[in-house]
Amino acid sequence: MTSFDLVEPETLEDAFKWLGVDDSSVRPFGGGTALMLMMKAQLFTPVRLVSLRKLGRQFEGIERSSNDGSFRIGAMTTFSQLEHSPEIRAHLPVITQTMKTLANVRVRNVATVGGNLAHGDPHLDLPPVWMALDASATIVNSSGTRTIPVGDIFSGYYETTLEQGDLIAELRVPVRPGWRSRYIKVTTRAEHDWPALGIGLSLHAEGRVIKDLRIVLSAAIDKPTRLIGAENVLRGKEIDDALLKRAGEAAADETHIETDNRGSAPYKKHLLRVHIARAVSALVTE
Amino acid sequence: MTTPRTIRFKLNGRSVSADIMPHETIVDMLTQRFDLKGARESCGQGLCGCCTVNIDGMAVSGCLSLAWFLDGKDVQTIEGVANGATLDPVQQAFIEAGAFQCGFCTPGFIMMVRQLLDLHPDPTEDQMRHFLTGNLCRCSAYPEIIDAVKIAVAKRAELAHLVA
Ligand SMILES: Cc1cc2nc3c(=O)[nH]c(=O)nc-3n(C[C@H](O)[C@H](O)[C@H](O)COP(=O)(O)OP(=O)(O)OC[C@H]3O[C@@H](n4cnc5c(N)ncnc54)[C@H](O)[C@@H]3O)c2cc1C
Ligand code: FES
Ligand code: FES
Repeated sequence: MTSFDLVEPETLEDAFKWLGVDDSSVRPFGGGTALMLMMKAQLFTPVRLVSLRKLGRQFEGIERSSNDGSFRIGAMTTFSQLEHSPEIRAHLPVITQTMKTLANVRVRNVATVGGNLAHGDPHLDLPPVWMALDASATIVNSSGTRTIPVGDIFSGYYETTLEQGDLIAELRVPVRPGWRSRYIKVTTRAEHDWPALGIGLSLHAEGRVIKDLRIVLSAAIDKPTRLIGAENVLRGKEIDDALLKRAGEAAADETHIETDNRGSAPYKKHLLRVHIARAVSALVTE
Repeated sequence: MTTPRTIRFKLNGRSVSADIMPHETIVDMLTQRFDLKGARESCGQGLCGCCTVNIDGMAVSGCLSLAWFLDGKDVQTIEGVANGATLDPVQQAFIEAGAFQCGFCTPGFIMMVRQLLDLHPDPTEDQMRHFLTGNLCRCSAYPEIIDAVKIAVAKRAELAHLVA
């Protein structure tokens, strides 16, 4: 690795000062797990890294609102902190479930919620889950603050809508009474491989009738994407085999899936049909 | 522009300092500046665990971590695990189970098993396997490693009993 400048601002003003240059090799540093891999492979040679670890309160912590029970999660929260939070386990168990097969203990001890989103890698496990949960992100820069749905962060393959000087500060995750969620990580080569597809699923059912739902597909496409067509097939309906089959067809029809070394496009579409039907049915009858 | 800085931290219980460049990893620093070679780089990608060190009670990959951030931290490596001439119960368990062939992966496995037992003193076999998915043994001593974890659980329980 070639050397670089490393700064640890303690205020947002200082952070924006260090980041606010027209140079994409000046980057924020969260847990550094993704950056270090790219730096070691010489894919990224930074001029300056701006560590976010001393920015304090807004970037830290897992808190529940006493008003509506929603969560505020600081962007520097590590995956281990999520994994071991009793509050998360109680109210957002899908996050605890997702952690089980995400990387390994050492990576989870270091990787952060914000870095995970800003990386823009479509194979990551958490983005489709946050989207299924209807989470939003608060983004700060030198001219102000904006809050956007997590899905609006992603614009393409490793591409995001974040601009130089933008920092993800925190996530807001609603806790929706009556909703159940699940993440399906479909690996095709080895259990611990990157997923061929990831499905974030969240739904609200009464008996076998689906009142509302969100289905998000990742890994098989260029960015995590809601499957609106499949959702529309299922919303308001009582599920049966024929309906689940139609939802799977709608999902396969509305996505552009490419062949890669985790499977051919037709194979991955087949997996998508099968897993959507299975997951919806399992969640409804849970 | 790029200049070293002096970091001060605890290394295996001793207060130390080092002049560090921003790009130095923890493995670089341990091997080059402290002549500690137990944490070694193999995959260099966070996958294999050969470089495992413990920072403030948390296992991390020394190959993916910058030494710069160690300022003020409490760092433990495999070299600091034994108590003088007395091996740590996890080390002793690996010997009794014969949980290695070449031994290259062993320091990393021992560091991870120690964190496992700190979090779960009496883990299920599923917890053991799950916790160790990020450690690779090219000699494939996995069955013996699981045996070693079980022996270590018993040894730790025995020690706790003696202390209590
Ligand atoms: C061995 C290994 C196995 C892995 N396995 C999995 C897996 O199974 N599933 C999975 O989903 N992921 C896996 N990952 C990927 C891992 O989830 C990501 O590397 C991690 O989430 C990135 O977070 P970070 O904090 O380390 O990011 P960093 O490396 O710090 O940053 C990543 C990017 O985000 C930017 N950034 C960081 N923080 C912010 C912020 N707050 N605001 C704006 N920009 C920011 C950085 O500039 C950089 O561009 C694995 C990684 C490793 C090393
Ligand atoms: S060398 Fe660090 S995890 Fe393999
Ligand atoms: S004992 Fe040789 S790599 Fe594990």
